[in-house]
Amino acid sequence: MTQFTMENVRKTFTNGEVQEEILKGINLTLKEGEVTALVGASGSGKSTLLTIAAGLQPTTDGQVIFEGKNMTTLSADQVRQVRASKFGFVFQFAHLVPFLTVEEQLLLMLEVSESPLKKHEQQREVERILKLVGMDHRKNAYPSSLSGGEKQRVAIARAIIHKPKVLFADEPTASLDSKRSKDVMELIRNLTKTLNITTLMVTHDEEMLMYTDQVIKMNDGKILQNVN
Amino acid sequence: MNLALKEMKKNKVRFVILGSIVFLVSLLTFIISGLANGLSQDNAALIKDLPAGQFYMNEDADETYNLSRIDSSTQDEILSKQKDAVAFSIQMGFINDKAGKQQSVAFVTATDSPLFANVKHQEIILDSSLKDKGIQIGDTVTNNQFSGKFIVKDFVEQKKYSHAPVAYISMEDYQEIYRVKEMQLVFTPDGDASQAYTGLQAFSKSDFLNTIPSYSAEQMSLNMIVWFLVVISGMLFAIFFYMMNVQKIGLYGILKAIGLKTSKLFKMIWTQMIVITVISLVLSITLSQVFNQFAPQGMPFSLSFATITQLSIVFLIIGFIGATISGIQIKKIQPLQAIQQGEV
Ligand SMILES: Nc1ncnc2c1ncn2[C@@H]1O[C@H](COP(=O)(O)OP(=O)(O)OP(=O)(O)O)[C@@H](O)[C@H]1O
Ligand SMILES: [Mg+2]
Repeated sequence: MTQFTMENVRKTFTNGEVQEEILKGINLTLKEGEVTALVGASGSGKSTLLTIAAGLQPTTDGQVIFEGKNMTTLSADQVRQVRASKFGFVFQFAHLVPFLTVEEQLLLMLEVSESPLKKHEQQREVERILKLVGMDHRKNAYPSSLSGGEKQRVAIARAIIHKPKVLFADEPTASLDSKRSKDVMELIRNLTKTLNITTLMVTHDEEMLMYTDQVIKMNDGKILQNVN
Repeated sequence: MNLALKEMKKNKVRFVILGSIVFLVSLLTFIISGLANGLSQDNAALIKDLPAGQFYMNEDADETYNLSRIDSSTQDEILSKQKDAVAFSIQMGFINDKAGKQQSVAFVTATDSPLFANVKHQEIILDSSLKDKGIQIGDTVTNNQFSGKFIVKDFVEQKKYSHAPVAYISMEDYQEIYRVKEMQLVFTPDGDASQAYTGLQAFSKSDFLNTIPSYSAEQMSLNMIVWFLVVISGMLFAIFFYMMNVQKIGLYGILKAIGLKTSKLFKMIWTQMIVITVISLVLSITLSQVFNQFAPQGMPFSLSFATITQLSIVFLIIGFIGATISGIQIKKIQPLQAIQQGEV
């Protein structure tokens, strides 16, 4: 069953007098339990596409359909609610909250997503997910004392702790060395399969494509080809 | 999850810095307002301690009580009409104590009234501050314009006028010293301004206080300092939170991206502002009370509980406004800004 599609999505940025169309009619479908990679030259519009899909910025035209609803017609607060409870994000930098411990980062995400779990159940879930990303031994550490790879693993844990339907990742391995990159990719792939998540990931790294099910190539705001 | 307290715990230094500035500013505010109040007591306790009512002086006196002469028929008319009304006069002067030393005083005389000390011919009742100058009950004191001698009958607490201790004398003795028959002023407790008398000008208590030349100048400048300090502390909050917020744009963006409500971010800065202000105020109130106890003798200092409460509430409101103004930028932050800004 597909649950995420984009139909003829356009995005125009206006800078003073100059109007520039960055996305020129995007059509794509993401499948449940699959990792879709988004590749293409720098400036081709990958990040713009990803952030629009994730409800982090509005479209100029077209539809983003998630669970049968057109996201572009929802109010800002409705979009926020979808982001909080149904989406997870991982970006190039981990973007952890500097004054929260690893454990607290995940508890905050559960709180924001209005998790129905009770206190002790939340605690257990946090333990479980941290074990999954191999960070359970650092649960009381603050982000400043973690390595880049460790931070990224915590960010991934935060992105999935509330059992999102869709996971968005923008170059999640860009700040990591190749060994750590592979670990993180393996983790994302495993989570996608075991939790049946729909994953959309931007990457520059050819090597990472072996962990993906579908590759979408972009060029100048358009989708060039769809490699399965 | 209490993000506000967790952040304060992790970044103690910056919050302690803000707190100590607020503490110093509020302490200074308390001390200056204690001083303003103390000086105003020292300057006009005699008038301030009277109940609310109307003061009357001669229309031709040009709002200067010293020049006012109320003619005796008018005075009799008011005193007979309003049963608590009292006519009184104040003049600065000197007494010579036992040792022949001159002490400056404010001579006060009044018609029979519970509001003023009742003294007989050749008696004098003094403000208790003169005790410190070595004058005791039963001493005889003199005045150069007075043929007789005064016997110190009693002391009263906290009766000052124009920074001088008050000396109550009888009307008879007053008339001899100053060679005037008429009284300067009539006071009617509970009187209202609508009660007019021909030839007299009516003043409320605060209006009358403002006719005392040194009083309004003193109070105005001190109160201005107090309000400046209050405004400065509000600006401190606005600027400090603004600077912290600018550094945290990325953080706010990411919190918004994961779905935190903007209102939660506002609650966060409000909580921090309230915690900082309350702690700073508790410290500065404590210290100003200590100062109250140990203020040097000659320094008039009086900080009432009402003033403290009033100023504390003003500080909280101003802090709230400052923090909220700085928070307006948070509303504008887009989640994307965080992601584009790189690592927070
Ligand atoms: N807010 C914006 N305002 C104006 N132009 C923008 C904005 N965001 C992106 N762009 C432009 O859109 C184009 C595509 O940007 P985008 O970040 O989507 O590229 P990308 O494919 O992710 O590139 P990279 O691989 O370098 O990350 C770029 O030319 C960029 O300058
Ligand atoms: Mg990009």
